Amino acid sequence: MSALWNGLSALTQDIVMTLLLLLPALIVGGIVLRGFAPWPLVRAILWRFRVASALFVLLIAISVGMGIGLLAQERGLRHGTAQAADKFDLIVSAPGSEISVMMAAVFLQPTDMPLLDGETYAEVAGHESVSIAAPLAFGDSYGTAPVIGTTAAFARHLAEDRIEGRMWETPHEALVGTLVPLAIGDEFTPAHGHGDAAEEHAHDGAHLEVVGRLAASGTPWDRAILLPVETIWEVHGLGNGHAPERADQLGPPFDAAYFPGTPAIVVRSEALWANYALRSAFTRDRETMAFFPGTVLAQLYRVLGDIRQIMSLMALVTQMLVASAVLLGLFILSRLFHRQIALLRALGAPARFVFAVVWSFGAALLLTGSALGLLTGVGAASLLSKLVTARTDVLVTAPLGWSELHVLAGFVSATLLLSLVPAAFILRQPVVPSLRA
Amino acid sequence: MGRLIKGLLTKGLALSISDLRVSAPRGRVLLSIPALEVPAGALVGIEGPSGAGKSTLLYALAGLLEAEGHIRWGAEDLLSLGAEKRARFRARSIGMIFQDFLLFEELNAGDNAALSALFRPRCDRAALRAQAAERLAFLGLGGDISNRPVSSFSGGERQRVAIARAMASEAPVLLADEPTASLDRAAADRLIDDLVTLARASGTTLIVVSHDTALISRMDRVLTIRDGGLAGDRKAAA
Repeated sequence: MSALWNGLSALTQDIVMTLLLLLPALIVGGIVLRGFAPWPLVRAILWRFRVASALFVLLIAISVGMGIGLLAQERGLRHGTAQAADKFDLIVSAPGSEISVMMAAVFLQPTDMPLLDGETYAEVAGHESVSIAAPLAFGDSYGTAPVIGTTAAFARHLAEDRIEGRMWETPHEALVGTLVPLAIGDEFTPAHGHGDAAEEHAHDGAHLEVVGRLAASGTPWDRAILLPVETIWEVHGLGNGHAPERADQLGPPFDAAYFPGTPAIVVRSEALWANYALRSAFTRDRETMAFFPGTVLAQLYRVLGDIRQIMSLMALVTQMLVASAVLLGLFILSRLFHRQIALLRALGAPARFVFAVVWSFGAALLLTGSALGLLTGVGAASLLSKLVTARTDVLVTAPLGWSELHVLAGFVSATLLLSLVPAAFILRQPVVPSLRA
Repeated sequence: MGRLIKGLLTKGLALSISDLRVSAPRGRVLLSIPALEVPAGALVGIEGPSGAGKSTLLYALAGLLEAEGHIRWGAEDLLSLGAEKRARFRARSIGMIFQDFLLFEELNAGDNAALSALFRPRCDRAALRAQAAERLAFLGLGGDISNRPVSSFSGGERQRVAIARAMASEAPVLLADEPTASLDRAAADRLIDDLVTLARASGTTLIVVSHDTALISRMDRVLTIRDGGLAGDRKAAA
């Protein structure tokens, strides 16, 4: 059985799981409704108690929407951040907080960081397994766009060689991310610093021209302006990393004696195993720290995973509380239409028909609320994703996933089964007192 | 009449009661009738003071109350049947009319009259709807009127919908509990005419609980219930 299950594709497993979760509801529905057509009465009862019914549907929709929205959003956030870190195999920096370095290098959050010197950079770049060793230089901005100094090789790697226009060829040329409001051919002067603290005229002598636009990556780098790292160093009066006789050179190798320092080096090697060797080689007490951003994110997800479980549990508890409130409401509403129920019994309706009417009434509320909750959850997750993307530039998309559908299917089945209780309770009500009421 | 309502020639069921005893949950006897015979197709009125047990008798005759003894409709001993068999018997053989109509206000007249089609076997539903439409038409509520929600109807019209509902399934027995009590005199008179005419035309056994002398006077026979017992049994004054 286990082998058969494992042999199914993931999609098939998800479909089967959804159907299995819905199966109790389908079986109960089939048994309860078999041979009857109670819909006109259910519609009539829904219309008679339309305000209360709408309120119940709203409650269910909100609780289901919250659960689905939270699940979808959490997954979208995880996927988006993982995707943002995808191009950063290994980062070497001065010892400190891996999270701070990751936030600065991957998510471009401004942070003060100690610098690595030229000899360290040369050692990293000269390692036989390294194919790209890109120094990063932060600290400048243009409007809301951070200006980052790096190498052409890393820019190409970041955009997967999808560059509209061309790569920079001089220190006065720049590439822009897809969200930067500059066109190819535009000129600009970067400011020193970020946001309100930015000094607009600190680099007045630096006139840069946009010569290329990087393809969208769904990362904060889409809002960044990339320059040759030499340009950043130059405008800060730190030289350009090359000896005077090679002052026109752009990109590595750099001269260790003239290297101004870099807060982080993004390292890429062609072989996966080499990354582990490099991490080991450059993890040294008080000298350097090497880490995989993906691993740091995974650690974060583990911490967030606990929170996620708590949130999921809270959402589930909320849903069950709302479902209980709805069932309680069914008891109360059923007291309001007890005369109609008694009438049906007096006219000779079988108990199962009366049962079907009451159960269908509850099922209609639960199914409508769940369907609206699904839409609400998808809408809320989409809205939240847009907000998070706008605030962080991490492309977060939270499409409806199978796990949300499984939760919904489980909720629908559980509540439809629970709806049998008030329906059975109503059948026990005596007929004649209700007719005489 | 037969021309007006095709297929209305329902043969009523005779009623035979013996040793009927209905008790309250704490044991107080609400109704005790040692013997009573009603021939098929008879129109019977039940009168008596409030709380005497008239409605209790009516609901017992419908099999809606637990009781001791025997209530035989034709050959069927109602009290020997379980709840579901009684319900099936009611659906097949007993139509009921109530003082305050008990209609589904959100449904139109046609759907109310054909209410029992919802729980009938699929093969019976179309015929029952057609019969309900015929009854409504006879009662002056045919055509477009039958498509109007009953919430827009007068009291008299509502009660006529209730009569159509009770007679749609060609039940041989019709039980009515104060059918004119919620109506003004003119509406009550018209309803009495309709009810009596339909019952006589179809041969239905009609048993009516009422304080309305105009209605009681149209019955073949009048039973008086007092203190839970049968205190009188007379022919109605013409």
